[in-house]
Amino acid sequence: MISAFFIFNQKGEVLISRLYRTDFKRSIADVFRIQVVSNPDVRSPIITLGSTSFFHVRVNNLYVVAVTKTNANAALVFEFCYRFINICKSYFGKMDEEAIKNNFVVVYELVDEINDFGYPQNSEIDTLKTYITTESVVSAIQAPEVSSRITAQATGATSWRRNGDDVKYKKNEAFVDVVEVVNWMGSSKGTNLRADVDGHIQMRAYLSGTPECKFGLNDKLVIDRSTVGLSGPSSGLADRGGSDAVELDDCQFHQCVRLNDFDADRSISFIPPDGEFELMRYRATSNIKLPLRVIPTVTEIGTTKVSYDITLKTTFSPKLSATNIVVRIPTPLNTTDVDVGILGTGKAKYVPAENVIVWKIPRLQGGQECSLSAMAQLTSTTTRQVWARPPIDIDFQVLMFTASGLIVRFLKVFEKSNYHSIKWVRYLTKANGGYQVRF
Amino acid sequence: MATTMRGLTQFIADIRGARVRELEEKRINKEMANIRKKFKDGNLDGYQKKKYVAKIIFTYILGYKVDVGHMEAVNLISSPKYSEKQIGYLAVTLLMHENSDFLRLVVNSIRKDLHGNNEIDNCLALHAIANVGGSEMAEALAEDVHRLLISPTSESFVKKKAALTLLRLYRKHPDVIPAAEWALRIISLMDDEDLGVVICVTTLVMALAQDNLDAYSVSYTKAVDRLNRLVIEHEYSATYAYYRVPSPWLQVKLLRLLQYYPPSEDPAIRSVLHQVLQTIMNNSAEISRNVQHNNAQHAVLFEAIGLAIHLDTNSPLVSTAAVLLARFISSRETNVRYLGLDTMAHLAARAESLEPVKKHQSTIILSLRDKDISVRRRALDLLYSMCDVDNSELIVGELLRYLRVADYALREEMVLKIAILTEKYATSYKWYVDTILQLISAAGDHVGEEVWYRVVQIVTNTEDLQEYAAKVVFEYLKAPTAHESLVKVGGYILGEYGHLIANEPGYSPLEQFHILHSKSQFCMAATRSLLLSTYIKWVNVFPEIKPQLVLIFERYRHVLDSELQQRACEFYALAQRPEEDELLQNVCEEMPPFPPRSSTLLSRLNKKQGDTEDKRTWIHGGKDANVDRELTRRKTLIQTNGSAASHTATGATSTQDVMGSLAGLDLGRTDGPSSSEQPNLAVGPNIDRWYEKLTSNSDGVLFEDVQVQIGIKSRYQGHIGQLAIYIGNKVPTPLTSFITAVHIDDPEALSVTFAKIPPNVIAPRTQTQQLLHVECKKAFSTPPILTVSFLAGSHQTTSIRLPIVLTKFLDHVKLGQADFFERWKLIGGAPRESQSIFPITLNSAGQLDLPKFRQAVTGHRFNLLDGVDPNPNNLVGAGVLHTSVEGKVGCLLRLEPNKEAKLCRLTVRSTSEDVAKEAQKLLQKSLQGGT
Repeated sequence: MISAFFIFNQKGEVLISRLYRTDFKRSIADVFRIQVVSNPDVRSPIITLGSTSFFHVRVNNLYVVAVTKTNANAALVFEFCYRFINICKSYFGKMDEEAIKNNFVVVYELVDEINDFGYPQNSEIDTLKTYITTESVVSAIQAPEVSSRITAQATGATSWRRNGDDVKYKKNEAFVDVVEVVNWMGSSKGTNLRADVDGHIQMRAYLSGTPECKFGLNDKLVIDRSTVGLSGPSSGLADRGGSDAVELDDCQFHQCVRLNDFDADRSISFIPPDGEFELMRYRATSNIKLPLRVIPTVTEIGTTKVSYDITLKTTFSPKLSATNIVVRIPTPLNTTDVDVGILGTGKAKYVPAENVIVWKIPRLQGGQECSLSAMAQLTSTTTRQVWARPPIDIDFQVLMFTASGLIVRFLKVFEKSNYHSIKWVRYLTKANGGYQVRF
Repeated sequence: MATTMRGLTQFIADIRGARVRELEEKRINKEMANIRKKFKDGNLDGYQKKKYVAKIIFTYILGYKVDVGHMEAVNLISSPKYSEKQIGYLAVTLLMHENSDFLRLVVNSIRKDLHGNNEIDNCLALHAIANVGGSEMAEALAEDVHRLLISPTSESFVKKKAALTLLRLYRKHPDVIPAAEWALRIISLMDDEDLGVVICVTTLVMALAQDNLDAYSVSYTKAVDRLNRLVIEHEYSATYAYYRVPSPWLQVKLLRLLQYYPPSEDPAIRSVLHQVLQTIMNNSAEISRNVQHNNAQHAVLFEAIGLAIHLDTNSPLVSTAAVLLARFISSRETNVRYLGLDTMAHLAARAESLEPVKKHQSTIILSLRDKDISVRRRALDLLYSMCDVDNSELIVGELLRYLRVADYALREEMVLKIAILTEKYATSYKWYVDTILQLISAAGDHVGEEVWYRVVQIVTNTEDLQEYAAKVVFEYLKAPTAHESLVKVGGYILGEYGHLIANEPGYSPLEQFHILHSKSQFCMAATRSLLLSTYIKWVNVFPEIKPQLVLIFERYRHVLDSELQQRACEFYALAQRPEEDELLQNVCEEMPPFPPRSSTLLSRLNKKQGDTEDKRTWIHGGKDANVDRELTRRKTLIQTNGSAASHTATGATSTQDVMGSLAGLDLGRTDGPSSSEQPNLAVGPNIDRWYEKLTSNSDGVLFEDVQVQIGIKSRYQGHIGQLAIYIGNKVPTPLTSFITAVHIDDPEALSVTFAKIPPNVIAPRTQTQQLLHVECKKAFSTPPILTVSFLAGSHQTTSIRLPIVLTKFLDHVKLGQADFFERWKLIGGAPRESQSIFPITLNSAGQLDLPKFRQAVTGHRFNLLDGVDPNPNNLVGAGVLHTSVEGKVGCLLRLEPNKEAKLCRLTVRSTSEDVAKEAQKLLQKSLQGGT
């Protein structure tokens, strides 16, 4: 399991160093610094040197590193690292060098708490916050009582939620955010080379007592089964339900979800933690609806010029709109200057620092299109190299749209007191860095 | 730089300030886009170009790819401003690799700078050539660099740089530089008054001389002379004294250069050299407190000792050196110990007697445990070199003991060396087997295959050893773990000779089988197949364990390894044949002895040493090894020289064997010296006339032109002669870099040496005298050739024949008529007679020119015998030739002129046919020549 845990800054200085086992010395940190931090060629997050494996995650110019000598489960180790990052973000608001340095005492407390002899322990933020605090120590009189409660919770059946009587809200509300990140790679001919969606469902529950929630999606398996159960395989209804439903390739749930139930009949039922948490994550690869279409025409005129003609089309309903569209159009490395003209909305300019033309469109309604034409001037180079033509990259956001077609069908809350609860559902599809088209 | 470039400073500051790599990249991309734009727009002034190219260079050295600005860099080179030119050159040397196409564009600019009058430009150009050094550049510019080097108008610092540039070009492209052709010219620079130039040129000469020994042989004298001036006469400027040691770098280089050549035969040079080495050794007797002073002195001293060993291992100098070395190897300083051991290894490798080294054996063995591994290595080398029959057991034992604790890096070499020494100096075979088996069991992994092959070879070839070896191997195999090499040896030896010990208790066949087979599971397939072969041999000699063996074959028939499987199947079939079948016996006949072959170990060891840049003048090992090496080296040199000669057949080459020291070279040739070997003779009617005249006279002018006059005075006594050469400078400037050298075709027959090292400057309108010692050893036919080269504005070389001919060594003999004819008849006709008939001219009176004939004959030192021949017109002469090797050779002559026919018959008879022929030829020439 994890034998050592480190946090390095950009320069490779050790900010946090914790050895869980005795099979390493502190100097193992130097190995990482030499082999990984100061080696610009390293791209892999796992480096194995001899029998030692370094797992690292980079966040805001920090390296969060776990070291092991055994054949540890890599997914688990990375989950631990990411979980640690989330805890830090929740505790300090951000996770960067300054935050770590300013709160190093708390960080050490956390690091000790969430891992014991290399085995990950309770990492539920809410729970942790009850006994690892940034405030001053609670008075001695209260302490035994509080600590016994904490112990009860941490070791109880629902370690993620405080005792039902302690949670009370005037207004019982639950917010569900479905956030999808769409990745797409289109060929120059307009065909899809790759399209997939990484989605997660974020939930904020402000519900009193110990509510029992049930959550329904238009999961293809569920819908097929229900239609089969209702009207038999040959009914026309089944087809309709099937076409609307989404096929989820992979699901991951928060620990509060009862996996036994999910495995049995794919129903999602849980007692939510109080406050914000990530209910589930999923991946979909079939029937992806692409919100934007890009039609690039790029021609190299001789060796001195490149002309661009790029058209952007939105494919979703006109009621919706895409916002914050940023199109990055690569230019050859020997570009001297670019003239840009735009038809429609937005602004574009050549950014030599990144060798791209950046085209920004603040808002684009559904069903609309706009285009850009540009001419890049090139200079002659010593070594004639063919331009590699990296893909055009588009970032955007579309509210109330899911690229996978996922819909929350219901969210039911059952509680002893049977109060009325209000549920809000929001959808968001965005692309950041993975929405690309070749030309 | 006079002008600062603000933009550049800002750019560098920005990049330094960038916190993350991404930011740095962004900044650079932005700057590069800007530069691209500026370059594309054009119309940049020199300053801007310089600034942008500087930015590009900075970006490039940060490790980013740069593909613009090359053209601008090329343009900057031709800028008249220094700062711009400098940046241009910097860019060219950094951005362009040696095969870049852009270099073609630069070559012309560089040539222009080389030709320019500005020394700083010259230097920039030289730097660029030395840094880039592509083959194209070398071909195009080597000539110009050479010109800059030899030009009398070049400043010293330009010369220095030019020499080093040439060196670098030569190292990279040796064929571009006509090393032999430039030899004299480059060597003449070793006389430069600036010691800095001398150091650089010496370095160049060292590199060139390594590959062109003969062409650079003149440098030998120069080096000796320079050492003499540095060490004895203290002729150097104060700036070149390093902690009171006169230019140790130069000294070291010169001493090293001298080691490339075989020891000189010339007594004058030898004595000077001896004096120099003596002085160096005396100087080092005082140990100073100053570390730098010590370092410098030691550097020189070690090289001097090396040279002393090279020159003559028996000289008293070497015994002094041995004493010094003994002190060094127990010094407290690691470097000194290292060098001491290294030099001692040199001594051990060359010396006739190892006694002086052996005295310090215990110290050397102690050095094996030095804390520094490089010292340990040297100690190992030295022990290897100094080992002989007397101390081999001690040394090998010590090495074996050390092997267990030795560094892993050292072990393989140690094993090889131990194996070689053990074999070479084994006093008894038992000791050999014991040692090698001990070696294999102690350092299994480091034992190469060759070692155990050799053991098997030796055991097989030595009958007395076989039983003993089998026993010892068996004992070694009893250890719980045995190395694979040991199992191999054991498998082979027990298989072959196991039956010799089978009757003794404890060595029964079954025990042998068990002990060997228990090791088999830890071995690789190759070893196992060897063991299978052992088993089949045992099936033959030990029928009692046949069932067990057959069982093993049976099992191995199903292994996956094809080699093992095949063996097992074949052996199984063989073992299954009926008892009376003789096939098994025939197959398992005892191995015949191996044909004697040389040890492969040595070749392995020598291969490991390889051919490195720093050419050693000796190798580790005893004297024999070095003698062998010297021979092979000579051979290859002759081959390379032969091919080189055919390349430079134009004849401009002038190569001499100054001291006749490279005798081996000529002897090795079958077709005699080729034309390019000989200096090009100066020609002209006067030169021939002067020469002819001097062949029969003792004094006179040998050569004269507008610059020099060379006169000769000679004296001969028996086989010894003394020749004084007077060289007069006729111009009002000094002749510098004056080199005189004598080339002798057949050094076995004639030796000509300078009495002392000739001076290298002749002041204006003065004359110098050089004394030559001449010794005739045998009859010879070609006169020696004197080559005089000097600098008077340009470099000039003149080669002239020296009037040293065979007849010079004749002495008068008085003979009466009877005596004469008796001897005349005794010698008889051909082949000991040489006769010719040739036309003569009559004098103005229409008479025979008898006085002239008489003069010619006496000029050739024959005694004219009057009244011997009845015809008064006929001349009769006698002489005796003195040679140091062949002794005295009598020589008689008869000259019969015929007035009417205007012909003359010359007959020479001598006890040696060579002498007769040669004397006849010489005489005829003078007789005819007078007309």
